[in-house]
Amino acid sequence: MRKRQAGRPPEAYLPLPPATFHILLALADGELHGYAIMKGVAARSEGSVRLGPGTLYGSLKRLLKAGLVEECGERVDPERGDERRRYYRLTPLGLSVVRAEARRLDAMVRAARRKKLLGVRPA
Amino acid sequence: MSPAAAERIYRLLLRAYPPDFRAEYEREMVLLFRDQCRESDVRTLGFWTAVICDVARSAPALRMEAWRQNTRTMEVIMKLAAILTVLLGVLGIANAVVEWVAGSKGAIDGAYVLAVVLGVLASALLLGAGVAILLRRQQAARLALFASLVSVVAARLLFPWMSILSQLVGFGLPVGLLITLYWPRRAFPAGAA
Repeated sequence: MRKRQAGRPPEAYLPLPPATFHILLALADGELHGYAIMKGVAARSEGSVRLGPGTLYGSLKRLLKAGLVEECGERVDPERGDERRRYYRLTPLGLSVVRAEARRLDAMVRAARRKKLLGVRPA
Repeated sequence: MSPAAAERIYRLLLRAYPPDFRAEYEREMVLLFRDQCRESDVRTLGFWTAVICDVARSAPALRMEAWRQNTRTMEVIMKLAAILTVLLGVLGIANAVVEWVAGSKGAIDGAYVLAVVLGVLASALLLGAGVAILLRRQQAARLALFASLVSVVAARLLFPWMSILSQLVGFGLPVGLLITLYWPRRAFPAGAA
C-alpha cells in the first residue's frame, strides 16, 4: 500500500477536476477495472460525463502518483471473461479526499438552496 | 469498418501519448477501446469524434506533464539560466564601473551616483542568485532576485535614461526566474480532466 503523502491534508487536493471526482466516486464502490469505472461514471452521471481511455488512464496515473488510488493486481473479470484486467481501489487518503470534496460540493449546493437557486422552476 | 481496423487506427492514435505513459497503459487502453467497439458502431462519425476528442484533450496534457516532470530537462534549463544570471551579473557590475568612470570626468550628480550604486547592487544580487540556484539554495535565490528587482526599480526611478537592454535584463531576468522558482507543482494540474 502506498504511504500517505506526508503533511498534506485531504483539503490540500481540492477542488478536484470533475473527471477525477467521478473516478474516485466510482471506486468508492470497491475494486474496479478501467472499463467498469468508465461504465460506472457514465451511469452515475446519466451519460453527461463520458470518459475516454486517454482521460481515464491519464487521471488514474495522476491519482496513483498522488497516492489516492492504488493498483490491486490483475485478474479476469468474471462478467466479461476475456483478458486479464488491472484493478484499482481507493487508498485511505483517497477516501478522505473524496469525502472532503463531497462535503465541499454539498456546502455549495446548500448555499445555492439558501439563495433559492435550486428547486425553483426556471422563469 | 471492422473492429480490427478500428483498433489498428486507435493504436496509431496512441502514438500521440508520451512513451512512458504508453508503456504503462497502452494494453489497458486498447482493451477499453475494444470494449467500446463492442458496444458502439465504429462506422459512425460520432464514435470517431469522441475518440479523437479524448486523444486531443488528454495527450497534450500528459506530454506537458511528462516534460515538466522530466527533472533532467528542468535541471539543465535551470543550470543554463543560473550561468546566464552569473554572467549578466558580472557584466552589469563591469558596465556600472564603466558608467562611473565616464561620469566622473564631468560633474557628478547625486542621483546618478545613487543609481549607479543601485545598479552595481542589483548586478551583484543577480550574480548571487545565479550562484544560489547552482547550489540549489532556492530560498536564498528568491530573496536575492526580489532584492535585485527592487534595486533595479529604484535605479530606474532615479535614472530614467537607463538603456532599454538594461531594463529588459534588470526586470525580465529576475521576474522570469522568480516565476520558475515559484511555479506550483500541483497534484492535479488545472488543465487535467
